[in-house]
Amino acid sequence: MGATHFGRNQLIHMDMFTDAYRVTGRVLVGAGGIHAELANPSSSFLELKDAYISRIHQPGEIVTHYKVAAFSKDNINFIVLQDRREGIPVGTQHGRSIYTRGRALSVFLTVPSFEISGEIMHDGKVAPREILVQSVGRYQLVFSAKALASLYPQISYSGDLILVQKDRIGIFCLDG
Amino acid sequence: MAKIFIIDDDEQLLRMVSLMLERGGHSTRLISNPVEGLQAVKEDKPDLLVLDVMMPGMSGHDIARDIRANKGLENLPILILTARAQEIDRETALKSGANDYLSKPVTSQELIEKVDELLSQPNQKMMPDRGVIIGMFGLRGGVGQTTLAVNLASALRRISQQEVCLVDFSPSGGQVALHLRLQLRHSWLDLPPLADLDWLALKGNLTLHPSGLRLLAAPQVPQLATEPSPEMAAKVIDLLQKQSAFMVIDVPRLFGPAFMAMMERVDIALHVLTPDVISVQTAVQLNRLLEKSNLKFKQKSYILNQVQVDSQIPQATVEKGLNARVASKINFDPNQARALSQGVPLTLTSAKSPLATMMNRMAEVINNRVAKRSGD
Repeated sequence: MGATHFGRNQLIHMDMFTDAYRVTGRVLVGAGGIHAELANPSSSFLELKDAYISRIHQPGEIVTHYKVAAFSKDNINFIVLQDRREGIPVGTQHGRSIYTRGRALSVFLTVPSFEISGEIMHDGKVAPREILVQSVGRYQLVFSAKALASLYPQISYSGDLILVQKDRIGIFCLDG
Repeated sequence: MAKIFIIDDDEQLLRMVSLMLERGGHSTRLISNPVEGLQAVKEDKPDLLVLDVMMPGMSGHDIARDIRANKGLENLPILILTARAQEIDRETALKSGANDYLSKPVTSQELIEKVDELLSQPNQKMMPDRGVIIGMFGLRGGVGQTTLAVNLASALRRISQQEVCLVDFSPSGGQVALHLRLQLRHSWLDLPPLADLDWLALKGNLTLHPSGLRLLAAPQVPQLATEPSPEMAAKVIDLLQKQSAFMVIDVPRLFGPAFMAMMERVDIALHVLTPDVISVQTAVQLNRLLEKSNLKFKQKSYILNQVQVDSQIPQATVEKGLNARVASKINFDPNQARALSQGVPLTLTSAKSPLATMMNRMAEVINNRVAKRSGD
């Protein structure tokens, strides 16, 4: 999918992971991408259309399918996107957006069942606490990222952007 | 023109994929219900199936498994086209029985290239139990036949990690060793008389390339032109076939008994030509000769190799002249001059150059087919 256009809603494909499941489906997002949808305070659920559910240890096999499924935002560990523009506004008329400003830092972090590595963009003091507190919203953005299943290291997921729920982060390591 | 069925529950996407394939010269049938799609495939066998994975009621994996379990459909080329873009999804697609995989969104060029590649694949049933023999041939010189043979053999060796043998039966001054910058001690001219020719004698005359590729070379220094006898060519090929997973023969451009002995044994015949009038005419004449000789190939494909910056005639004109489809077109690759001067085939260095990309893809397809057959 191309860049999101201001004021236009569109369906994007995404892979979403809970503790035990991989769910692939489509979500309707606006100009702010999925990040804005996750931050929307008017709903605690994320609604997916055409949700295909797989188990974490057999992620290629589809267990079941539903036309519509709602997921509690609290239970989402991370979301994998193939194009960062589907997740966040990457730029404004005046340059990079608040999500893509700063310098790139290599990061390694863990969430239940997964290890995630990639790059984060940060403008300020290089310290895990600072980064997690300063970054906008309840999801940490990891660019050019890879998520590896801790118990099944042969299973991995790559994405241009992975959004990781901050509350679910167990270990957060920086290389900068 | 191939008959292609497309099964996808997204009707908008169905129409888009259909449009792309029809522009590529194929006829399509669109089916949005997976269960009906499977039934249609069983009743009216298509030449190729494009299949979505995520569909309500029945997944694309289930359809692929069902097709593979069906007698008469084991060899139907299946291309999975899905929004699930992870490596694990590719693995699952191939395990379910699909031949290849593309993730959405897909460009028209990607789709047509992949479909044409699958349609030009050898049928699994054609493969022998022993090594697969690929013959690069043509009667016109300067079409890059040796370059393609060297690159395909190198790619097969790298991808399969099995024994691969490259055979240069040129009567005099073979070029394969130059492409690989090998100092030769032996050539096929040093082989003992037919009665004494066995694997041990043959092995002693093979030259090993650092990549692990084995070469039966032609004499490097030009000699008085001598052709191998048809019996000699046949015996060498039979011996090498027992010892190699793949054999690539750079068939000499000399139509005669030895040529026929080689071509009778190949599993995959790749007719190389360039997009120019003389090359097409030569190919047509060779086809007539082969027809008269009653030689039936198990699998034959045309490779259109553009060896100059400008193409004299378009692919459609070449196909019209041949009265057949070109399976692979290789665009002009400026890196080839460097590869030749360095003595390293492009498939071992420049993975993204046009020639290397095409040869690597071809090697992958051949290797996957053989690997799948072995796993059955």
